[in-house]
Amino acid sequence: MIRPPSDPQEPHVALVEEWNASEQHHKVVVQHVNIQGLGRTKEDLLGYEISDVFNAKNLIDVMKKAHIARQRLLRLGIFKEVEVLIDTSEGADALPNGLDVTFEVNEIKRLTGSYNTMVGNNEGSMVLGLKLPNMIGRAEKLTFQFSYGTKETSYGLSFFKPQPGYFERNLTLNMYKVTGQFPWSSLKETDRGVSAEFNFPVGPTSHMLKWEGVWRELGCLARSASFAVREESGHSLKSALSHTMSIDSRNSAIFPSSGALLRINQELAGFTGGDASFFKEDFELQLNRRLFWDSVLSASLWGGMLFPIEGKPSCIADRFYLGGPTSVRGFGMYSIGPQSEGDYLGGEAYWAGGLHLYTPLPFRPGRGGFGDLFRTHFFLNAGNLCNLNYGEGPRAHLQKLAECIRWSYGAGIVLRLGNIARLELNYCIPMGVQSGDRICDGVQFGAGIRFL
Amino acid sequence: MHQGKTLLRKEGRQKLQHQLSAQILKSSRPEGFPAAEAFVSQMAAAEPWPENATLYQPLKEDQILLSDSASSLAVQTYLRMCGLPVQVVCRPNAEYMSPSGKIPFIHVGNQVVSELGPIVQFSKAKGHSLSDGLDDVQRAEMKAYMELVNNMLLTAELFIQWCDEATVSQITRHRYGTPYSWPLNLILAYQKQWEVRRKMNAVGWGGKTVDQVYEDVSQCCQALSQRLGTQPYFFKIPTELDALVFGHLFTILTTQLTNTELLERVRSYSNLLSFCRRIEQTYFESKDS
Repeated sequence: MIRPPSDPQEPHVALVEEWNASEQHHKVVVQHVNIQGLGRTKEDLLGYEISDVFNAKNLIDVMKKAHIARQRLLRLGIFKEVEVLIDTSEGADALPNGLDVTFEVNEIKRLTGSYNTMVGNNEGSMVLGLKLPNMIGRAEKLTFQFSYGTKETSYGLSFFKPQPGYFERNLTLNMYKVTGQFPWSSLKETDRGVSAEFNFPVGPTSHMLKWEGVWRELGCLARSASFAVREESGHSLKSALSHTMSIDSRNSAIFPSSGALLRINQELAGFTGGDASFFKEDFELQLNRRLFWDSVLSASLWGGMLFPIEGKPSCIADRFYLGGPTSVRGFGMYSIGPQSEGDYLGGEAYWAGGLHLYTPLPFRPGRGGFGDLFRTHFFLNAGNLCNLNYGEGPRAHLQKLAECIRWSYGAGIVLRLGNIARLELNYCIPMGVQSGDRICDGVQFGAGIRFL
Repeated sequence: MHQGKTLLRKEGRQKLQHQLSAQILKSSRPEGFPAAEAFVSQMAAAEPWPENATLYQPLKEDQILLSDSASSLAVQTYLRMCGLPVQVVCRPNAEYMSPSGKIPFIHVGNQVVSELGPIVQFSKAKGHSLSDGLDDVQRAEMKAYMELVNNMLLTAELFIQWCDEATVSQITRHRYGTPYSWPLNLILAYQKQWEVRRKMNAVGWGGKTVDQVYEDVSQCCQALSQRLGTQPYFFKIPTELDALVFGHLFTILTTQLTNTELLERVRSYSNLLSFCRRIEQTYFESKDS
């Protein structure tokens, strides 16, 4: 249904302004929809995105549908810009009320690269990124990232392929090596793995199915690590299938004022090979509601459980951790729960909840501009983390999770960074502190993507 | 010690003895005591030897290799000679738990010490020592012979395990990867093989053949046999040298490899055989360790 224009040399000018108002509801027929400026992109991929324009009945409809088609073309991530031209149709088979719609596109370069240096946590590193968008012509993307640091080296290669016509259904293949240092557990971890991920929407929900095979190497970060952490050193292989379902109706990812988020994740390790053998479940729920005077009330609840299978004890790298400026504020980073000689070992079950009241800055400085990136918030956080003895019943488990709850309250300022991250500066008062927990009462600074 | 490197070249018996005496003379100079060891000793001296001291090694039945088994037996014998109780625990990740990456290591109180040398010093700091009765010359001689065993016997064991194709493919690779599932068992075995081969090249054993290594083992056993003579122990009283020699020789005598060449070479020295039997009966109550 796509034909190249009859005379590609002559520029076509949109004549919409010359039509008077009554013509807008005049019935029209879209005869041709063209795309100009294609290089390596295959045409059949784009047919799905723009086919809806043919169904337009009048001029307003054509403009609306053309705009939607333009958005769909842009979200493929293969065009730098897309322009829409609507013109009367020309040629031998032109109808008196026929229209031609032309999309003029500008493809992204074949290879883009980036180079950054990063400094943080007593380590400097050089990060090199390479991206090949639209590699074979159907919106595939190959990304390579390499980070060379004073302490560790890591890299990742990723291949993304969407289903033609159904961009939200896509497949990603990854190969990576990442290293992490966790001073709260005196642990360092090196993961080398491959994963295959399949995303698909079902109605309002979006799902992800993933298989991951990881070779994990754990080691002590310092000679003074506790023996419990030393016992976990060594190599293991995890081969796991996981499924995530999420529904997000919030109006923004960072400062939502309405809507809810629900994310449920299951992971089963051991049935496809490997040494690690467990079933893990965790969920995240967030509700937002606008109150009087531009303030927003937000409630969130997180929880998770890890069931080791076949009697093997759980690995420190699989357990849950709690505490810190991104989870229960007022406590040290991941410094709640079972510990040995000052090293936090994580737990097999946890829950955490938060209640926030966000308000604009008092007296609203910088309103309409810079000031809108800030909010003040008053919060109440609570949570618990423990190991469960799976021989006892669920009643005993609930009881154990309900004892010794840690909680905190306070207030602070939040800054939005782009649309992904936020910075917080809070004054916290931790309560319900158990022996072994490390607290951070008073001023606490936090930066991250996911906050309780 | 760099002197040890010269001992590894294939040389006649007399040259070997000459090198040994040179090393004894060199070792008899007073040694400096590195600062880190002094600190560890100070911390160790604070508490007596506890009841729950544990020694960690790889799994005995399926995983442990000849060299690790020998080193572990040497440490166990030494601790028995000192009369220090220790419980042996087998863990598949013992090699990675160890602070130096070598087997065995002991967990005493809240300290972790690996390998025979540091363990001897650690127990000395707690007041238990076997070589106090020796004078300086004898102690230097003991150290020289211990270096000989470490540089010759231990390296030969590693060579046969990891550089002899028949042994590697039939025994070692399979045993090393036992606790892990596929493909990690292969990856780790090949990684370790590559690492040991690199080390062999670094100490100059890369070009040797298995027969040359058997010759080296014979020469080492001859030197030990000559030193031992008809005495019950290398010195008047059992010392860490006896523990080390027993650990290696007994393990060689009781471990099944692809052929019996190594076993026969050791067995040809009858005084070493009776030495092993004697120590086994005295300290291990005639039960195989």
